[in-house]
Amino acid sequence: MELTNHFPALIMAVLLGISFLSPILYRWARKASAPALITSLSLALVMAIYLLFQVLQVGEFTYYMGGWPPPYGIEFRLDLIRVYMLLVVLAVSLWIMVYALKDLEHELKTEVMGWYYTLYALVVGSMAGIALTNDLFNLFVLMEICAISACAIISVKEDRACLEASFKYLILSAMGTGCFLLGVAMIYMVTGQMNYDLVNAALPEAVELYPNNMFAASALFIVAFGTKAALFPLHVWLPDAHASAPSPSSAMLSGLVIKIYAFALFIMFYQLFPRPLLESIPLNEILLWLASMGIMFGSIFAMVQVDLKKMLAYSSIGQIGYVFLGIGLDDTIAITGGFYHLLVHAIMKSMLFMCAGVIIYSTGIRQIKQLGGIGQVLPITMFAFTIGSASMIGIPGTGGLISKWYLALGALEIGRPIFVVIILASSLLNAVYYMPIIVNAFMQQEQFEYQVKPVPRQMLIPLFVGVAALVFLGVFSRPFIVLLENAVQLLF
Amino acid sequence: MGEATAITVILFVIFFPIIMTPVLMSVSARSEKLRNILAVITSAVTFLAVISLYSMVVRGDILQHTFFELLPNLEISIRLDVLSFSLAVIASFIWFLCTVYSIDYMAEEHGGSRYYPVLMFTLGSCLGIFLAGDFFTLFVFFELMSLISYILVVHEETEQALKAGYKYLVMTIIGGLALFFGIIITFEIGGTVSLGVGSIIDEGTLLGLLAFVCFLIGFGMKAGMFPLHVWLPDAHPVAPSPASALLSGVMLKTGAYGMFRVVFNAFSVEVLQTTNWDIVLGVLAVITILLGSAVALTQNDLKRRLAYSSVGQMGYVLLGLSVLNDNAITGAMFHIFSHAIMKSCLFLAAGAIIWKTGKRSISELGGIGREMPYTMACFSIAALAMIGIPPLNGFLSKWTLGLGALDANATVYVLVLLISSLLNALYYLPIIVPAFFEMVGENEHGPALRFNVRDAKPLMLIPMVILAIFTVIFGLSPINFPFDLSQMTMDFLLHGGNL
Repeated sequence: MELTNHFPALIMAVLLGISFLSPILYRWARKASAPALITSLSLALVMAIYLLFQVLQVGEFTYYMGGWPPPYGIEFRLDLIRVYMLLVVLAVSLWIMVYALKDLEHELKTEVMGWYYTLYALVVGSMAGIALTNDLFNLFVLMEICAISACAIISVKEDRACLEASFKYLILSAMGTGCFLLGVAMIYMVTGQMNYDLVNAALPEAVELYPNNMFAASALFIVAFGTKAALFPLHVWLPDAHASAPSPSSAMLSGLVIKIYAFALFIMFYQLFPRPLLESIPLNEILLWLASMGIMFGSIFAMVQVDLKKMLAYSSIGQIGYVFLGIGLDDTIAITGGFYHLLVHAIMKSMLFMCAGVIIYSTGIRQIKQLGGIGQVLPITMFAFTIGSASMIGIPGTGGLISKWYLALGALEIGRPIFVVIILASSLLNAVYYMPIIVNAFMQQEQFEYQVKPVPRQMLIPLFVGVAALVFLGVFSRPFIVLLENAVQLLF
Repeated sequence: MGEATAITVILFVIFFPIIMTPVLMSVSARSEKLRNILAVITSAVTFLAVISLYSMVVRGDILQHTFFELLPNLEISIRLDVLSFSLAVIASFIWFLCTVYSIDYMAEEHGGSRYYPVLMFTLGSCLGIFLAGDFFTLFVFFELMSLISYILVVHEETEQALKAGYKYLVMTIIGGLALFFGIIITFEIGGTVSLGVGSIIDEGTLLGLLAFVCFLIGFGMKAGMFPLHVWLPDAHPVAPSPASALLSGVMLKTGAYGMFRVVFNAFSVEVLQTTNWDIVLGVLAVITILLGSAVALTQNDLKRRLAYSSVGQMGYVLLGLSVLNDNAITGAMFHIFSHAIMKSCLFLAAGAIIWKTGKRSISELGGIGREMPYTMACFSIAALAMIGIPPLNGFLSKWTLGLGALDANATVYVLVLLISSLLNALYYLPIIVPAFFEMVGENEHGPALRFNVRDAKPLMLIPMVILAIFTVIFGLSPINFPFDLSQMTMDFLLHGGNL
């Protein structure tokens, strides 16, 4: 038994382990706690990279937790698309954490820092699990862990707005998990299985006998994952939650947490449900129009916001729509675009939240209209903000363009140019609300009148990394696209 | 010149100005003089490097080179043919003159440390548009140039400039998105967007029409085509004058260039003529010409009048492009050259006048010709060329366009050209005539001086004079380099195959 065989389980174990250790470390060896968390995240990332190479070499494989095969044991499945998701989750969360170490000192009370590390590791660990798991009940458990710890990293700031927002999130997210559980029950009723592959094998027959069960289950799934991923019109919790949380949490929630549920829904559609079912119920059609409305309304709501972080949060509602659009278009190219956007948006939105975090850290400003002239005092931050916005709009040379290119190409491929128009219209709307911020930041003539605290280098370096990553994704996108195309093709 | 050398030169031409941008920025902090000299050297070297490609172009060679694939089948590539060369040569030449002019003009303005780097960056991206080998690369440079030149538009940072700049920015992004849509459709239909494969869309399907309309919006926006010209009369006048000259003289041409590429490379002459989509272009061109000239009449701000005139003049190019026969294409091509020369000259002269007198409204400028004779002489020559007085170059382009229209039996287009010339005369002559002949009173030494200013400094004057001389010698003189290039381009586009 080699250690490398157990990497799928070890990733989870490392992350969950550090989440238990963090409070203890923080109490007795405060200096070691942050490096320990960073080390664990890096360790998990290294293991995930190893897994990627393994999958590229031998193709997809499964891993049984504790050596128990299904139907009794928990199965992890490692195929290209899941490993991709795992890598995105781990890489982006490591990156956010590096930034968070300094920012949190400012936003949180010192006593709760150790707990924050715990919660952070729990969120990351559960997301890694959601990406890999091949078992409905296990998915449910992980979703609960993720939801509760995500609520907690909002409320950890302990001010009124945060508590209110996290309570709202808790209720809606519990509703989502409830729907999911109900859906799982429906499926279990007719198939008697929990493992994806076994369910998938048993479903065609079950659909014949109990069609209503399956209709209900798929509707429940859309509601469940839609709520958690803030699919329009189930997004109502998101703006408050993402805007009031500490900035690293916002980056985490907007960048990764909502995406993992979109990914889970994708897995439901393409690995759990048999293809004929997907074709008999217009699930994709529903998803497409909900996504389109989300794209438009998210952007329109973002335009009228006065609070910077709230604007970014509304923008996320629009952007998650792109991912759902990719899934709904049901075409290799479009799904590739959707998943590429998942990565690009994870980076750009996290970076924009980090920029907002730096601005709040340094000046305490949250209102958009007070940002005039801030480019003179925080040039690096606003440069990063500019690149992030450019990517949001889809300016050439940034990753945002590539994902839009693929989504649009996919829409044309299946002969529906109307969705291209929606994508382009929303790009324009993005421009309308991001551009004035940048223009005012750099072009305002009067001096910036607020007090400015110097920004530590540790907060600025992650911004540079983000800028570099976005430009890299915009210019050297080919290997990622090829990888994703292969990954998606395997599912059809 | 071998192919490898040519590729190196092309890369140099595009990236040398872009690389010089940070250099200029860092030099700027130490010595303004050094920065100005470096900027001039950069543009001069770029111009010379473009010229050096001539030997290859004159042989009729085409260079198409792919560097790498950004996405499967979507390349980053460069291309050199006579059309790219023509545009690149005029752009880099005007750029050089405007940079020289800027030295004195910007000396007393703020923000030179931002102006020169941006100017050079825009030069690089503008040449990138002309030398791109596929629509995607073209799009990348197009967006880069459009967005960066925003900084030139709002340079003054007045409220008016910011407002105009915002309009410019929004329109640019709309145009960019439309272009993006057009390119995606082209890619979907043809599986490639390279300029090296001839007509990519060879059927007049509905999707093809959508692509055509998108291209028309994207490039037409930049070229100031009706009804997408609304940003132009606001954005061009508020910029510093050398930048206005570049915006009107060169950057508008990127839109026209794009339309050339769309007509000949994305589609083909046959497709456009069988589907009658060229008529759409023709109608829009006629409206653009008449509207631009008519509105120019009503403007009292000198630079605004010139900007509206640009709208009208770009209509000529589009008109030639819609007629699509030998003479019309030659005329459209030649008008790109002549308009670049005339309009830059006019903007530079207007800039000198405004800079010296601080007056922008035309009604206040009577008698200026006696105080700034050289500047006003250049202005007058260029304005007469605009009207189309022989033997100036404006006459030759109108003549050729008119011949093209007659070849196509489109007499109405000739009428449009004549009416617009009349309108040009109506709005340019009232500037020139009072400038020389209006009397403001007399004293014992002769006519009184109204402004008490002297003519512009030599560094500002020389570029204007050169441009004014060019309007004369590139008119009816036997050695007409731009006209030869236009004919070569026409020959290449219409008879040399599209490859």
